[in-house]
Amino acid sequence: MAISWATFIFGPQLQLGNQQPGQTVSVTSVPTSYPNNMPGLARQGAQVYRANGCDYCHTEQVRPAGLGSDLSRGWGLRRSVAHDYIYEEPVLLGDLRVGPDLANAGSRMDTKAVLQRLYEPRSFPGNDRSVMPSYRYLFEVRPIGRNPSPDALVIPTPFTPPAGYEIVPRPAAYALAAYVANLRQDEYLFEVPPPTNALGTNVMLAAKNAPPAGTNAPAASTNIPVAATNAPAK
Amino acid sequence: MSVTEAPNRAAASPQLSRTEIEANGAVPILYLFGGALVWLLLASVLELLASVKLHMPGLLAGSALLTYGRVQAASQSLFIYGFGVPAALGSGLWLLCRLGKTRLAGPGVVTLGTLFWNFAVTAGLWAILRGANTGYAALEFPRAVASVLLIAYLVISVCGIVTFHHRAAAPLYPSQWFVVGALFWFAWIYSTVMGLLLCTPARGVLQASVDWWYQHNLSTVYFGFAGLASIFYFIPKLTRRPLHSRLQAAFAFWMLALVGSWGGIPDGSPLPSWIIGMSVVGTVFTLVPILAVVINLRETTAHSMPSLDANPCLRFTCVGLLFWVIASVQEVVAALPSVGALTNFTWFTVAQRDLFRYGFLAMTMFGAFYYIAPRLAAPKSASPDSLWCPRLYKAHFWLTILGVFIGYISLLAAGLWQGVMLNNSANSFMAVLKSSMTAIRMSTTGPLLFAVGTLVFLLNFAQLLKNNCCPCCQRKGDA
Repeated sequence: MAISWATFIFGPQLQLGNQQPGQTVSVTSVPTSYPNNMPGLARQGAQVYRANGCDYCHTEQVRPAGLGSDLSRGWGLRRSVAHDYIYEEPVLLGDLRVGPDLANAGSRMDTKAVLQRLYEPRSFPGNDRSVMPSYRYLFEVRPIGRNPSPDALVIPTPFTPPAGYEIVPRPAAYALAAYVANLRQDEYLFEVPPPTNALGTNVMLAAKNAPPAGTNAPAASTNIPVAATNAPAK
Repeated sequence: MSVTEAPNRAAASPQLSRTEIEANGAVPILYLFGGALVWLLLASVLELLASVKLHMPGLLAGSALLTYGRVQAASQSLFIYGFGVPAALGSGLWLLCRLGKTRLAGPGVVTLGTLFWNFAVTAGLWAILRGANTGYAALEFPRAVASVLLIAYLVISVCGIVTFHHRAAAPLYPSQWFVVGALFWFAWIYSTVMGLLLCTPARGVLQASVDWWYQHNLSTVYFGFAGLASIFYFIPKLTRRPLHSRLQAAFAFWMLALVGSWGGIPDGSPLPSWIIGMSVVGTVFTLVPILAVVINLRETTAHSMPSLDANPCLRFTCVGLLFWVIASVQEVVAALPSVGALTNFTWFTVAQRDLFRYGFLAMTMFGAFYYIAPRLAAPKSASPDSLWCPRLYKAHFWLTILGVFIGYISLLAAGLWQGVMLNNSANSFMAVLKSSMTAIRMSTTGPLLFAVGTLVFLLNFAQLLKNNCCPCCQRKGDA
């Protein structure tokens, strides 16, 4: 018992117990501190995520290449590392994928897409057989006042509310959507450096040895893809 | 008495008769058992509801209390803390009394501790359904509830340790090592996670590491010890054969305690690779104690399957042993990185977990209940096993074993197919989901049959208590 405790509790605590934010590794920008603490609304959303047991169907960890197809599915640019979670409490890694991994959900969905998915997961094309429960109790279906609410959800048929009614997210829905839309692990770090390019050249080294760019030269392009805002998870 | 002989001697200590020993512990142990059965029924019903919601997501979706995530959390928590721990305590305390030939120490204290335990589980269930869960798997009860559980557990286990200390018989039987080991183990792991997760949470991903360590120790070591204590007692006793080797039993005990506590960290998790490596090594080495237990009991029964018709306790215990071997070997296989790449995060791991809990722990505890309950309810009865209704216990047996088997095979198939489809990134996630839905629908039969079987057992237990009351009030059937 003592050996197990020392190996799996005390040892990791010595190594990671006081882990501090790291520095990003980037060829295009100045290194910054990573991770940043979540915005307040997203932190509240993490509690909504926890309270509704979302981690029983979704994971938030991208496995390395060679262990599953997480990276090739576009679930992340890199594997998840300990640095990604130092500000999370509780850490909601999950252990079953009834639904897709959400470690980089913010790169695939914006807040509106998340809200629509929470109200009715089957409202997206191709998702008619989704088993995700709808969280309609996080929304209010109410009569339209003098003017429609600017926060009203736009839902495709046949899920639209009755005529004269609108769907307005409650605060918990906004918080949860903010949390999911804030989930990103797309910064490279020392322990997960940027990948080498097609010629097998270390991108960082090439950038270091490149001739200095002119002041009006355009920024060097990188391999970091532009995130699609409404692309459904694959 | 030789320590390898089966503990089936009729003679008791000259100071205390067996009847006196049974009568002393009847109320607290029957209370532990009865409460455990009620919670198991509720856990099975919630598990059934969660399983149905997987393929009928619109069912009760408008209610926050009954959303899938909360129902699943409640079901798992009720199984562990409502059924698993009390059942382990009940059977363990009885074994300490029987093998130590001594009265249970502090029966009133144990009853009070059980009362607080059940109260805490009720509060914890309500907390989870209201969304006040912690977010840590197998530790979903909030801190206040967990504190009451820990105190109640310590109170009950101290009574167990005092009972053990006052034992009359000198040489220890292997079941006693397992029971005492379990008593200490849960106190250690539960207090550790309370400190590092609920009171002063560890930094970042260490929370997940601590939670995985706890889950693994809870199932492999604590529940493993509880079930093996029953298995090592009842199989030799009811087959009327001496335990083959005390040395092998000791080896299995110490190996399970040493390497069984290393594990539970999935490959690919965001932790340093040395932690994952140690976990894999520890899990693979659990093959050694598994083999030691199988060889020991196989030699005990002289290579022949005991006749299962004679005794419901033997039926359930033997089947529980079989499921323990299958579930433990599956865990070893799944820990290998090449297999884990396919099966991690799939229904494969759920199948293994459910087989361990419902197939091994529940079945061995049922076996213990069938033996112990009539002896406590009617200590003077000449044939306590006949106090059960035979039709009900046969129905219970077949419903349970079919439910476990169908649920396991379905989830296993769903998990393997899900893993194969997921590992090919050309398959969209919806295609992966659709491909495993047929097996998921079939798996609902598992908790349905198990829940019905548990209800049948509860009815049988109720008629046993009704017809043969505890010695505290004299009713017909005691003589």
